[in-house]
Amino acid sequence: MNALLRLTVANIRSFVRDRAALFWTLAFPLIFVVLFGSIFSGGNTDRKIGFADEDGTPASAELKAAFASVSGVVLVDGAKADLLEGMRKGDVSSVIVVPPGYADTVAAKAAPASVTVYTDPSQSAADGSTRQLVGFVLAMVNQEASGQPPAVTPAFETVQTNDVTFISYLVPSILGMSLMQLGIFSAIPLVADREKLILKRLQATPLRRWQLVGSNVLTRLLIAVFQTVIIITVGTAFYDVQISGSWFLIGALVLLGSLAFIALGYVIASFAPTEEAANGMTSVVQFPLMFLSGTFFPIDAMPDALKMVARAMPLTYLGDALRQVMVEGTPFSPLWVCFAVLAAWLVICFGIAARFFRWQ
Amino acid sequence: MPTGTLTANDAVIRVDSLRKTYGDLVAVDGVSFEVARGEVFGLLGPNGAGKTTTVEVLEGLRTPDSGSVSVLGVDVVKDVDAIKLRIGVSLQTAALYPKLTVTELLDLFRSFYPSGRPTDELIELMDLGEKRATRTKDLSGGQRQRLSVALALVNDPELIFLDEPTTGMDPAARRALWDVIAGLKSDGRSVLLTTHYMEEAEVLCDRIAIMDHGKILESGTIDALVGQHFKERAVRFDAIDSLGDARLTGLEGVTSVQRDDGVVVLYTNDVPATIGGLLAATDELGVEPANLAIRRASLEDVFLDLTGRALRD
Repeated sequence: MNALLRLTVANIRSFVRDRAALFWTLAFPLIFVVLFGSIFSGGNTDRKIGFADEDGTPASAELKAAFASVSGVVLVDGAKADLLEGMRKGDVSSVIVVPPGYADTVAAKAAPASVTVYTDPSQSAADGSTRQLVGFVLAMVNQEASGQPPAVTPAFETVQTNDVTFISYLVPSILGMSLMQLGIFSAIPLVADREKLILKRLQATPLRRWQLVGSNVLTRLLIAVFQTVIIITVGTAFYDVQISGSWFLIGALVLLGSLAFIALGYVIASFAPTEEAANGMTSVVQFPLMFLSGTFFPIDAMPDALKMVARAMPLTYLGDALRQVMVEGTPFSPLWVCFAVLAAWLVICFGIAARFFRWQ
Repeated sequence: MPTGTLTANDAVIRVDSLRKTYGDLVAVDGVSFEVARGEVFGLLGPNGAGKTTTVEVLEGLRTPDSGSVSVLGVDVVKDVDAIKLRIGVSLQTAALYPKLTVTELLDLFRSFYPSGRPTDELIELMDLGEKRATRTKDLSGGQRQRLSVALALVNDPELIFLDEPTTGMDPAARRALWDVIAGLKSDGRSVLLTTHYMEEAEVLCDRIAIMDHGKILESGTIDALVGQHFKERAVRFDAIDSLGDARLTGLEGVTSVQRDDGVVVLYTNDVPATIGGLLAATDELGVEPANLAIRRASLEDVFLDLTGRALRD
């Protein structure tokens, strides 16, 4: 036992001293959280929208007042050209242009008046919400122009809540993805040690293989716990993510999920002759796992063939279970399928790796 | 006498008809030898001779195809775990965790054994004091090799396997390691070492075995091997193109002629007559034999005679 713990300490030392490994396992998921968090939790900060009134009539002023009345929106006045330049610089997220003759067209009622809205489709979140905003405001204006009271008052609060919920879903997804990456790359140090003949040297000592593998797995689990704490802490502290489920279930999922992916990593390493090959093969496996697991793209939107694949992926179940427990507070009973699938992956992968892993 | 224990005169290593193949390649082809307790035994041979494979079978790292191998009175194939506690191993390539320091690595290996020598003592012994906090990837080749030997001693072993221990060392470090190995012997430990260096074998080994193509060609003490092969002395000089073997063999006293890498060695039982004949022959051709020297036959000569090539790294 002493040897196993000493070896675990040695593994952790090696890991901490490998700056690249440290970055990829700890900083990378954080960057994801911060990046998505900043994009999707923008509800708290005012959105600046450029407003170029080229008509200059009471009607266009009324439209401007309608936009300005929406909470969270700050209008920036200016000429169209200046505002578009400002949008490129990121000063405003989008630009609304009221063309000359707007008031006349509205008054004539012969054709709908046109308002041009510039958005940046690459900033999809800002793009979407501006379109939404313009739609709401114009609907209001149209209804007022038609002399009928608005049938439905737009609930802008809901829009904001939706934003917060999205990041709440995102944190467990990123956690699942990070555990997956940590797990499937876990056997690579062993492959490297095999290549450097360290495993051979260890074989000449009384150290047992279970101690060697045990310390490698223990090291990875400790890193997984650390990673989980960091991701959840950042999510709750900076992005108002609420954790509603049981910590025990979250912990159980983190451990079981990590073990399943560690076992999968050992399977990949079993068939890799060199460290480089193991790295390459693991990267190849990682992408379908990442993209076909509902982490980034919803499974419902996939073609049927891909849906089948997605339903076999362990990350689909780990991500789903984490999201349900963390966001919705789901208890164990409906989640047993997720646990069962992860356990099955663990057992099968462990069996394959135990059979095929080469020590020399 | 219970099994597994040995009296002082018993062999610590007993190898009989050991054979190991990799596919079509016969790495070790029926090797037999014994190493006595307290002895430093050397396995000499060119690269690919099968030395490392032989040693790795003895260390329990490889399973032999056939033959019997006992180490410290224990059958290696049957009970390798019992042996691991009592042997120390330094592989041909020093395999070290690159990001751990010298002290950390020694402490780690020490934790694999129930008893052993303190890390500080080993650092002192291998003269690694200034490098104790250095990560192993930042060590020089010789320092890595010394650390590898230190790791072989953490469990205070009775029998130590050193595979090419002085490769990559400068002459001073090499001599320092020779002192350490001599010290192990005077502690009553047994050492099996493989080496490329004739001088190393001559200084350290009580007995040697010369291996080539998976077989042991000769074994015994160095004096016995040299005496057995060469009653003659050796006359050496830089090869002269116009002076062929036929002419050289015909010189008075010459028993055999060896050529290696631009050097000719004449083995003779009559040095004055051979030198006289050689000088007459070169005079005739209008040349002078460069770097002419006379010496007693050495292990190098035995090796050249047995394998047809010189042993060097």
